[in-house]
Amino acid sequence: MEAASVRTAGTPTQARRSKGIPERRLAWLMVSPSLILIAIVAAYPILYAIWLSLHEYSVRVAGLSRWASPAGLGNYKKALSDPAWWSALEHTLIFTVASVTLEFGLGLGMALAMHAAFRGQGALRTVVLVPWAVLTVVTAIMWQTMFVSPYGFVNTVLGTQTVWLGSEPQALIVIILADVWKTTPFMALLILAGLQVIPGEVYEAAEVDGASTWQRFSRITLPLLMPAILVALIFRTLDALRIFDLPFVLTQGQNGTSTLSTISQETFATNRIYGLGSAMAVLTFIVVMIVSFSYIRFVGGNIRGLAED
Amino acid sequence: MRLPLAIGALAACCLIVAACGGSSSSSSSSSGGGGGSVKGAKVIDPNSMNNPPKGTVKFCQGQDTTGIGKDLIKSFNAKFGSQGYKATLTQFPASADQQRTQFIQRQQAKSDDCDVFSSDVIWTAEFSSQKWLYDMTPYIDKARSKYIAAPLETVHYSGKYWGVPETSDAGFLFYRTDKVKSAPTTWQQVYQQAGQQGGIVYQGAPYEGLTCNYLELAFAAGGTVLSPDGKKSTINSPQNVKALQLMVDGIKSGDAPKSVTTYQEPQTDQAFTSGRYGFMRNWTYAYAADNTGASKVKGKYQVAPLPSFEGGGKAGILGGHNSVISVYTKNPGLALKLADFYASDAFQKKALLKYSQAAIIPSVYSDPDVKKAIPYAPQLLQALSQAKARPVSPVYPQISQAIYKNVNDALAGRASPQDALKKANSQITSALATF
Repeated sequence: MEAASVRTAGTPTQARRSKGIPERRLAWLMVSPSLILIAIVAAYPILYAIWLSLHEYSVRVAGLSRWASPAGLGNYKKALSDPAWWSALEHTLIFTVASVTLEFGLGLGMALAMHAAFRGQGALRTVVLVPWAVLTVVTAIMWQTMFVSPYGFVNTVLGTQTVWLGSEPQALIVIILADVWKTTPFMALLILAGLQVIPGEVYEAAEVDGASTWQRFSRITLPLLMPAILVALIFRTLDALRIFDLPFVLTQGQNGTSTLSTISQETFATNRIYGLGSAMAVLTFIVVMIVSFSYIRFVGGNIRGLAED
Repeated sequence: MRLPLAIGALAACCLIVAACGGSSSSSSSSSGGGGGSVKGAKVIDPNSMNNPPKGTVKFCQGQDTTGIGKDLIKSFNAKFGSQGYKATLTQFPASADQQRTQFIQRQQAKSDDCDVFSSDVIWTAEFSSQKWLYDMTPYIDKARSKYIAAPLETVHYSGKYWGVPETSDAGFLFYRTDKVKSAPTTWQQVYQQAGQQGGIVYQGAPYEGLTCNYLELAFAAGGTVLSPDGKKSTINSPQNVKALQLMVDGIKSGDAPKSVTTYQEPQTDQAFTSGRYGFMRNWTYAYAADNTGASKVKGKYQVAPLPSFEGGGKAGILGGHNSVISVYTKNPGLALKLADFYASDAFQKKALLKYSQAAIIPSVYSDPDVKKAIPYAPQLLQALSQAKARPVSPVYPQISQAIYKNVNDALAGRASPQDALKKANSQITSALATF
């Protein structure tokens, strides 16, 4: 749109178009199919969830519903005064920080390794991606089998009899490890894509100027990689904040592994308390919004700065 | 450069869709009686099945892993196809939660996708209070004595019968014949002997299975979950504490491994077939399942109905499925014909012989073919007869959560039995107050 408005008035195209539909309206017209589609698939469910969250629906009498007093905010009040919601938030945040940090560190290492030119590079890239291709539920069952106690693979190797999935904080640690195993390749792939667009000449010039390997990494690779890293981090963080399948399969959300998504699902789908469940989903959305906007606020500026340099 | 902002906003959009996309409409136009009673439901005419209008009846059930669903349809069509009646099968996912969700979505849309639904025994109260089911009382009343009494109670809610039993299930005590001569007769003895014979394994993970495992002991000890009118929690009783104490002590003293707090059925089988344990509590399916493959206990175990509790009696928890008829069916007579066919002597016998599905008719168990092919038939009938239904309530999911979460906390040593049941009590009380 910016490009269009920059175009100076009086050019032949502009003159021709002004006879028909004005440019601004034409623009709206052309984006309207996408807007309608977004409205249907995104806006409607969001608004509907908010609507549900302001009401109470009877679980015992068909079709009976009422405004969630006070002022339609009763469900939010209930959710926020429930210690279970706060511990779910705590577990979710711990999971997010721990898993994204580990995935970033390992993913960066893997990306650098995959970027280096050597024989069998293609094969390595394929192999590395396998955990990412495995369905999360299958991953969960695999890890469950490994960590089953007392005679599972892990206990046998370690010579312990730990009840991994039945204790705090071990259960959450297993879930974090399973997520790291599964999602690091995704992180690596995004970073690898960033690595591949860094022109080789920059490194050649640096080498001529006598820059060490570390200097080349810290002064060239990292800064130029920053946009890719941030995109990867944003995606992973937002994904991690709604972690559901791993705790659902591994621990049924018990033993210190309940998350915002598992308790929303339990309330909405299992207990059919639609109002409270929707309020929890909307609260999850708000948490995600806060985190994503802080990302953009604190680190997004850096990207803009970099791009303008 | 606007890219990060755009990505952030886009990602947030995707997330809310994912977070809230599960929303489904919960409103429907009808409204009716309050509390635990269901008034004004459509009532089935038992004679309508004799000569219903020609047409097709749609049967919905969970994933047909054994093939019994297909067999039902085939047998029904073979018998009634020439009269212009046809049955078809719709398979829902294997998970019980998913089946329930699928059925609820169809009922909320007033769809006639499922004329007959194979409903888990714990859904009766919820579905009937939403007025999704035909009242089947007149049909059941015509032949009430035909059924084993206990499974029939799983379709009994608010003074009426809301379905026809299809199959039942109950827990067994599995014991190693090479370690103990005969099954212990009380739970106390089970734990005592388990301590000397490698231990007992059961389903102690925080999920529906633990509710069953715990209530089997609690009911045997004389405990209850709800008051007879279903309006008050009675979970925090001395009997229930005693039952929980026995389980907790069992883990503390090593009679049961601490790992049972993470076991569902597959892990229980895995543990028992490793040959380390003397006892196992599991459902009937394990009788055949644990005798195959790499099992180290092949031919080395027997089953017994669950024992009694010292100072109490015998109990058990019923599993199984019931045929329920949707109020949105266009041909209730034909739907009833199919449900009636499922519960018929011939098909019940076949279900037990060929698919190991416990029959809901007592006479099947004394059939010579059955006695020959199913060595545990007498124990099974005994187990079913002594078992009880789980609390029948529209808020059953919350009641069950209150039980399995707190019992799991007690088993794992995070709470004392008294505190766990006190907490369960307050959670069940607030569940009962759900709007």
